[in-house]
Amino acid sequence: MNEVVLAVLAVPFATALVTVLIGHHSTGAAKGISVGGSAIGLVLAWALALAHLGAAEPFSRVFASTDGIAPPIELAAYVDPLCAAMLLLATTVAFLVQVYSLGYLEHDPRYPSYTALVSLFTGAMVTVVTADDLWMLLVGWELMGACSYFLIAHHWELADARAGAVKAFLITRTADLGLLFAIFVLGQRFGSYRISTIMAAIVDGALPRDELWLPALLVAVAVMGKSAQVPFHTWLPDAMPGPTPISALIHAATMVAAGVFLVARMYPLFLSAPSALTLLAGVAAVTMFLAALYALVSSDLKRVLAWSTVSQLAYMFGALAAGAWSAAVLHLMAHGAFKALLFLAAGSVVHAVGGSTSMDAMGGLRDKVPDTFVTMTIGFAALAGVVPLVGFFTKDAVIHAAYEEAAHGRLVWPWVAWLLLASMVLTAVLTVAYSMRAWLLVFFGDAPRGAVEVHDAPAVMRVPLVLLAIPTALGGLVLIVPGILGPDRDENLFHASTSVLMTVLVVASGTVVVWLWSRRGREMWGRVSVPHPPIDVVYERALVRPVHGLAALVRAGDRDVIDAYADGAAASTRGVGWLFRRAQNGSVQGYLMVVVVGAAAIAVAAGVLA
Amino acid sequence: MPLWWPLLVASLLFAIGVYGVLVRRNAVLVLMGVELMLNAVNINFVAFDAQLRDVLHGGQTFALFIIVIAAAEIGLALAIVLLVFRTHGHIEVDDLRELADRDVGDLDKLDHPGERLDHPGRVS
Amino acid sequence: MTPSTGSGTGWVEAVFLLLSLVALGSALLVVTASNMVHAALWLVVTLGSVAGIYLVLAAEFVAWVQVLIYVGAVVVLLLFALMLTRAPTGRQDDLDARRALPAAAVAVLVAALLGATVVAGFHDVRIDLDDAVVGSAETTGTTVFTMWVLPFEVLSVLLLAALVGAIVLSRLRTDGET
Repeated sequence: MNEVVLAVLAVPFATALVTVLIGHHSTGAAKGISVGGSAIGLVLAWALALAHLGAAEPFSRVFASTDGIAPPIELAAYVDPLCAAMLLLATTVAFLVQVYSLGYLEHDPRYPSYTALVSLFTGAMVTVVTADDLWMLLVGWELMGACSYFLIAHHWELADARAGAVKAFLITRTADLGLLFAIFVLGQRFGSYRISTIMAAIVDGALPRDELWLPALLVAVAVMGKSAQVPFHTWLPDAMPGPTPISALIHAATMVAAGVFLVARMYPLFLSAPSALTLLAGVAAVTMFLAALYALVSSDLKRVLAWSTVSQLAYMFGALAAGAWSAAVLHLMAHGAFKALLFLAAGSVVHAVGGSTSMDAMGGLRDKVPDTFVTMTIGFAALAGVVPLVGFFTKDAVIHAAYEEAAHGRLVWPWVAWLLLASMVLTAVLTVAYSMRAWLLVFFGDAPRGAVEVHDAPAVMRVPLVLLAIPTALGGLVLIVPGILGPDRDENLFHASTSVLMTVLVVASGTVVVWLWSRRGREMWGRVSVPHPPIDVVYERALVRPVHGLAALVRAGDRDVIDAYADGAAASTRGVGWLFRRAQNGSVQGYLMVVVVGAAAIAVAAGVLA
Repeated sequence: MPLWWPLLVASLLFAIGVYGVLVRRNAVLVLMGVELMLNAVNINFVAFDAQLRDVLHGGQTFALFIIVIAAAEIGLALAIVLLVFRTHGHIEVDDLRELADRDVGDLDKLDHPGERLDHPGRVS
Repeated sequence: MTPSTGSGTGWVEAVFLLLSLVALGSALLVVTASNMVHAALWLVVTLGSVAGIYLVLAAEFVAWVQVLIYVGAVVVLLLFALMLTRAPTGRQDDLDARRALPAAAVAVLVAALLGATVVAGFHDVRIDLDDAVVGSAETTGTTVFTMWVLPFEVLSVLLLAALVGAIVLSRLRTDGET
């Protein structure tokens, strides 16, 4: 088992390295190596995960440790059902994305570096989910952020790709400071950097309520940044200029979900500091509703999906805040599957209409891209929570948990819990609305005027869609099997009352949308725009402008102070030269006068000295 | 007579010659000052020759030689003065400053490399 | 040294003083005259006085050579130069540069230095002119052609060089002239 864990950790990094070294000589070799490496990693991860899914005893082992410092930093792995589930999700989606990219980036000259970065990212994600040492987790965390930066800017000739990459990196990086300081505080408080040790100490310690508010708050800030919650939500829609498979892998299924994973992993910490959970609940309530509104009025297909991701992540945070750990984790898994499916299908649609992501360029595609139509329909339905797809089960579990917390719970402040519940229900309605809207705009109606020749995606892009549609459709059956996340997490997740209520709301919302579609066509609710809270303006004024000012100051200092010395040296030399040049004015009589006086002076001196 | 009389005369004559060289603006007048200086030196030589009664008569011989050299020198000097007059149109010593050291920046102002900066108006 | 014999020696000194005054006075006028031709003519007076001084100092041959060469040739050359350079005749007010005062100061400095040196060095030395060997043509010729013949030859080469040089310089044509 040790070897398997090490192999799971090492294979993606090795794949990335070999791809970089060999891939630039031959694209075919790059394709083979990356897909092959990803497949090997997938097999190993499945083997490891299936061995630990639902297992009672987690695998924990320290592979290496530093000697000189205390507490030591270790290469330690901890594989429990949560980790196993995340491994399954991450490696499967990564593999499918690699296969999909064979078709999507067929003619892209930067394919080798792209695929190496995807492998590197996979390795980083695996590191994060298996890490038992906080520093190891941080390394994987930051590495994911770096890969995200590089991959968003894959088409770095586009200005908004570059801008989006920098924005994503800076916002998440700034929020990650919270995680860094939380590691410091936890290490000092508990004398160890191992997550399992710290969590055991918290559980056994019976600490007073909210004593650990500071590290919990810091971790909350970090995950809010990574998972694009308010006020750090502005980077995710701007990351859409990246290639669509990247949006599927990083910004839907894995990296943004790592925030939820971290809260789930460090749940005892949050349980002992419910104020952080309250914060998360409040943020989640605001975010899910706001993001759903943005998705409702956006005309870019990928932006709709991006805002949808933000909204669903807020669902997961809300579930965690309400104390429903299992519901949150299962929704994470489900969301990973159907959101990846939706993004890849969107990529197929974009590929079909020749590269435009705007829904104004799409319409009536259901006959032209039938495989995509079917799979995307399944994806949208899962997103909306239509029975019996997986989204239905998990979302209803989340809503039920929120209701339980609001009515009987003691974790979160009561009014925040009710706010959360209300927001969840409203957002569910809006989710159906924007899903149906996007579905109708893309696949129904008339093709837009001036549409290009539509061609279906190659098989290598359609197969992953089908493969993802399977868990989306059937996952619900698996997930309601109790105990899949460990023997002490076997609560019943299916509550009939909640499900009936939600189904009624879903149907009602869908009906309204279809009615508006039939009456008003594509402009269902006109061209409204939802006002954005001035987050970016605040960033601009508080951060960007001072940094620009500082940079201008530094440049002025370099130019006027340091360069002035260099220039001054030259100028003073020239000045001295000018001065001495007065003596060489070309007047012979002047020279003679100087000679005579000089000779007289020497004579006098000789006379005086002699 | 005391030796210092002719020596003093020579010194004063020399000083007057120095004044003439330094203050006159016309090149020919400067040469006149030079002649005065040479004559002062000659007086010196002759005076010492008279006092020392040299067997070799070095003093007077040297005075002769100096007269010869002075003649040669003035011939060449005046040839040069005439050449200067031909090229510049004047022999004002103050205005002949082509050997002055110039700032590098001023060279940009020259249109032709051989042009002068002191009298841009006068062309050769 | 035989003691001076009286009024003959006194006459010599008086003549010497007179000639010196004339020489110095006319030299001053050479360097301060406002008329260039006048300056040249005062130069003639100066050179003549100096020739007289040579005679007093028993340098006969040198004195006549002085008159011949200096007064006869050099001054004539200077006058020719003045003519060929179109020197304006008549009174000129701008013959002196504006640095007259510093130049005068330098000249006074030189005079003071040299005068002080010679007076301090030779104030008790006398020239005895009664038994002086007169520098006649015979004696001068003998010395030059026996003991000083090498410098003499070199001087003649020097004169040749000066002659050639002067001819070359005068034949130089600048661009644009025939």
